[in-house]
Amino acid sequence: MRYTRSVLTLLLAASLSHAQDAAPSDREMIQRLVQQVEALQNKVKALESQQRTDPPSDANATSKPAVSTTVPQAADGNTQPGSLAPELHELHGIQWRGFGEVDYKVLNQRKPELGTYGFVPGSHGNFYTGDFDLLLTARISDKASVLSEIVFGEEDAQKFAADLERVLFKYDYNDHLRMSFGRYQTAIGYYNTAFHSGSWLQTTADRPLIMEFADNGGVLPTQAVGWSVTGSIPSRRMGLHYIAEYGSSDTVRPDLDNNVLDDESNGNHVNVGLFALPGSLPGLQIGASFYHDQISDFARGPSVRLGQTIVNGHVVFVRHGIEFLNEGFLIRHVYEQSSTVFNMPAFYSQISKQFGRVRPFFRYQYINTNSGSIFEDVGLREGPSFGARYDFNDSFAFKAQMDHTLRGGQADLNGLHFQLAFTF
Amino acid sequence: MQTTLIVGSVAIWFASLTGFSSAVAQTGCVAVVVNEKNPITNLSATELRRVLAGEKHFWTGGLPIRLFVRAPGANERDVLLKFLGMSESEYKRYWTAQVFRGDAQMEPVGLFSNGMQREAVVLYPGAVALVNLQDVKLGMKVLKIDGHMPAETGYPFN
Repeated sequence: MRYTRSVLTLLLAASLSHAQDAAPSDREMIQRLVQQVEALQNKVKALESQQRTDPPSDANATSKPAVSTTVPQAADGNTQPGSLAPELHELHGIQWRGFGEVDYKVLNQRKPELGTYGFVPGSHGNFYTGDFDLLLTARISDKASVLSEIVFGEEDAQKFAADLERVLFKYDYNDHLRMSFGRYQTAIGYYNTAFHSGSWLQTTADRPLIMEFADNGGVLPTQAVGWSVTGSIPSRRMGLHYIAEYGSSDTVRPDLDNNVLDDESNGNHVNVGLFALPGSLPGLQIGASFYHDQISDFARGPSVRLGQTIVNGHVVFVRHGIEFLNEGFLIRHVYEQSSTVFNMPAFYSQISKQFGRVRPFFRYQYINTNSGSIFEDVGLREGPSFGARYDFNDSFAFKAQMDHTLRGGQADLNGLHFQLAFTF
Repeated sequence: MQTTLIVGSVAIWFASLTGFSSAVAQTGCVAVVVNEKNPITNLSATELRRVLAGEKHFWTGGLPIRLFVRAPGANERDVLLKFLGMSESEYKRYWTAQVFRGDAQMEPVGLFSNGMQREAVVLYPGAVALVNLQDVKLGMKVLKIDGHMPAETGYPFN
């Protein structure tokens, strides 16, 4: 400390001697600097006296790294700064993140509908908890990591079932080759991999009809076990990326109206996609994907197989508080040993804008499945949804949403959905 | 602690001699800095945006990128958010989503001082951070953006 004060005195003397030759404005600046140095000295004294009164311990040394001002003495890195490393979360443990929701949904009918989870038949409206989602990540090295997502979903009679939605060993070789092995959510389009099971991340209270999870009655094979590779393609400002997946889906979905389970017994699937993130318009994503597998039509017999092809195109813009999502799908079923072919289109378009804490949104969706297909329980459904999301803070939000659905051959369906979504 | 004080005092004294601090205060310029051993010297604005948004994970040559940001309230944080076109809450939500999607191993570490940023940049070969120009110190290498150094015309953070 004595040495420090000597150096400081010398430095101040040098600066003051320079100030004598300087203009009056420079003198004022130097005076201010001298005052700053004096203030710093006082702070140092206070800190030193505090150190003398506090007994030295390792716990204290590591519990207050945020106020550390230790600077390495050598710029060549020979002196390793040790005070910062704990604060930088050199993550080798398991990191947790949770997502949850509490919902109330009321319909103008007394039987369950798509994606209403714990909806109890016989009542117009019910509370339910939706998905309780635990995300676990662990960093193994700079290039390897593990990610898993465990969801506790509400079922009938308020029983909860655990589902390992994702478990992935990830290895990033470089920006052009990033690999994942395990159970993943298929990259059919944008929504499925952008929001996964976290309602808090979604603007709306529910997923678009076409992107609903298969175990809630959705028509797409949203999950699979296998491998996935993705990466960027050198393309300058176009920002091209690819994705390729190969795995087994084994989708089991309940019918929308009577909860009969359809096991599609999927064969292995291949899914390839290409999307661009143009540098000239940040926030824009334009992409397409092509999925193919073979599934069974159990209604016609377990040996009846058909080829399933799902083509997607999407245009998404998310920036400056604007969220504009547009996706179109064509689901094509071609029966083997038969000339039967079904082409089933679907799309949704969703727009929202943040105004302070409030984000009003509007969505229009459409799906039209063929009578006689394995998705005949869905049929024609289309209609608008609108509402607003209110973010109390960065961790929890309240959403209110109204739905009006036109159904082919059935009465229109109206719904009111409230949701408290949170992350922790 | 002694070293900090000495370095700080030398910097203040040197600034008073050169008039550097007042010049910088006028520009409010923020520099993009990396570890001095990182071979990269220039980034395009598009590449920089991808780095800061966590879309680009590796430097040319395969060195993993480690992004460090200042905690909320700092000038560098405001500059970062403006560059990315996000509010503070949108930024937090964005990174939560990035980790949730598996596109990032973790959210960028928010540091409370430029001294800590300097330590991080010196410690991690793949580190990158935004630092007020007057706080650039030894051990930090300032990158050109689209061929421009800080305070030059065309530099995005002037």
